[in-house]
Amino acid sequence: MKRLTKPLLQFAPLLLFIGVLLFFGCQSPRFLEVRNLINIIVQASSTGIVAIGMTFVLLTAGVDLSVGAIMFVAAAVAGKLAVSGRSMFLILPVMVSVGLCVGAFNAFFITRLRVVAFIVTLATLFIGRGLGLRITETRAMNLPDSFLMIGSFRWLSVPLPAWILAGLLLIAHLILTRTPFGRQIFAVGADAEMARKAGVRTKTILAGVYLVSGVCAAIAAMVSLGQLGAVSPKFGEQKEFAAIAAAVLGGTSLFGGRGNVFPGTLLGALLIQSIENGLVVMNANPYIYPMATSAVIFTAVVMESLRNRVRRSSAAVL
Amino acid sequence: MTVSSAASVESSSVALLRRLFLSNYLVLVLTVLFFISLAPFTPGFASANNLLGILAYLLPLFIAAIGLTAVMITGGIDLSVTSIIALTSVVGARIMTADGSGGSAAFGLCAMIGLGVALGAMNGLTVTVLRLPAFIVTLVSMMFLSGFAIWLTQSKNIDQLPQAFLQLGKHLPFALTITAVPGIAVHLLLRKTVFGRWLYAIGQNATTAHISGIPTRLITFAAYVLSGFCAALASVLLTGRLETASPVLGREILLDIIGATVIGGTSLFGGRGTIVGTFFGVLFLTVLDNALNLLNLSQFSITITKGSVILFAAVLDTMRQRIARQTV
Repeated sequence: MKRLTKPLLQFAPLLLFIGVLLFFGCQSPRFLEVRNLINIIVQASSTGIVAIGMTFVLLTAGVDLSVGAIMFVAAAVAGKLAVSGRSMFLILPVMVSVGLCVGAFNAFFITRLRVVAFIVTLATLFIGRGLGLRITETRAMNLPDSFLMIGSFRWLSVPLPAWILAGLLLIAHLILTRTPFGRQIFAVGADAEMARKAGVRTKTILAGVYLVSGVCAAIAAMVSLGQLGAVSPKFGEQKEFAAIAAAVLGGTSLFGGRGNVFPGTLLGALLIQSIENGLVVMNANPYIYPMATSAVIFTAVVMESLRNRVRRSSAAVL
Repeated sequence: MTVSSAASVESSSVALLRRLFLSNYLVLVLTVLFFISLAPFTPGFASANNLLGILAYLLPLFIAAIGLTAVMITGGIDLSVTSIIALTSVVGARIMTADGSGGSAAFGLCAMIGLGVALGAMNGLTVTVLRLPAFIVTLVSMMFLSGFAIWLTQSKNIDQLPQAFLQLGKHLPFALTITAVPGIAVHLLLRKTVFGRWLYAIGQNATTAHISGIPTRLITFAAYVLSGFCAALASVLLTGRLETASPVLGREILLDIIGATVIGGTSLFGGRGTIVGTFFGVLFLTVLDNALNLLNLSQFSITITKGSVILFAAVLDTMRQRIARQTV
């Protein structure tokens, strides 16, 4: 029995993902068409990008609740600039700098003043939302068509958002697995005090992950703008929860030190999106989307915790 | 001689400031200072009517924050409070409007409380038996329950609730009693009973608490049940005040509840927090919110100010903790 459950639990998120694909595939043949699968990736891209940054933060045992607000501020600034006729070559770097600035603001309070990340980023959420409302004057703002290019441009018949997601995933994966910065993130998350004694500059590492998260949120805002073509006062709202859910689904621990962006976070983001997409394809009642999504997230988290328990108990035997 | 006396005067005033800074009443002092300094410039701020308004606004927030405080003392968090508020509101309203008979108000009320307790128990069981992180458990139940409430009502509000029920939230003495009784009870529970001491012990170090024989799972479970119960009471007050049951009831106050609890000195890492502190935190946020509204500031200024104040309070609290530790 144990021999059977152990490998099953080992690949819990992947198995769940395959299960969801098979389930919706049986319900509607359209679901498994290549076009729809690409569609799922494209729809998941903005959440996926935010979740990449969130994974960095979660790995240090922190949390960033301000990502949705960062997206809103970056999009609002972009909208303002675009409406006044500025070119994309100015707007995109400005968006990234907005992300960097808010990330630096978070990092300052967390590393210098040593305030808990949860509260700092909660406050930034309020401040960012307020700023965004101020910039957009609480109105929806339509963007020029040049922005929609980001969403619709295709290369090898795959839309740009999917490429951006793939590129960022590759970079993030390499940073986490192949660089000292990456290894030190894991060290800080596993035991900050130990890492500090071993000579890791914990404050620099912590500041780094909030900057990464800010930049990822800004890039996600670009992708989202390219898909929606407009900034509404609700832009990016509740994105923080979707991103945390995606990262945790992919096996990243909320207590730090354990997790990965590839395949983990990617699978998490795709899993959430394919449930929603599948329900749309099935013509299900839209009101059941959040219930179905949360039920699957719950299943994945339970499987993940069982897997850790099996791992721990087998380690104890050894 | 003169030099030393000047120094002693200075050191005593520093000591006084230090005592004030470290005191549990700092948030209350700040609230009063804020109120006094704004009252002359804000028309109607100090009027009896407005003060009663502040009180009515504060009660549901405070009730929900009582349960959250207990959960946070154990080192957990409950993100699902506002979803429980919404779901109990619409389920209660469904039952009360199902038939026009007079007895349904009492039945609906019991159903709301029972549902709140059951949902809290569900959170508690998942956290303690499956040993999942509270953040994720209550995040998922937040998503699920609010989705369920919206589905149940097809995102419509439910009106025409029985007067007897609405009075519980609208009539201030009733609302005050509903809030004060659990407030005082939980305060005594935390201060005077073994249960309270166990809660703090679990929050400080769950493993040590477990080894020293504290039924950690049972106590943690009880904290979530209490949170569900408090959320249901908050739902009664909110539904009564708005005279309508809504599937998105309280959605915008989740962060206020958490913010107020933390401003009141409850630690996110557990082991620290009081009901009195939480009351001050809620009072502070409510007075601030009210003043900003009266000053006719736009929505974005209110949001920005609220965020800054939460941040400021957190920085202050962190500094206080550090100074207090150095003093010890």
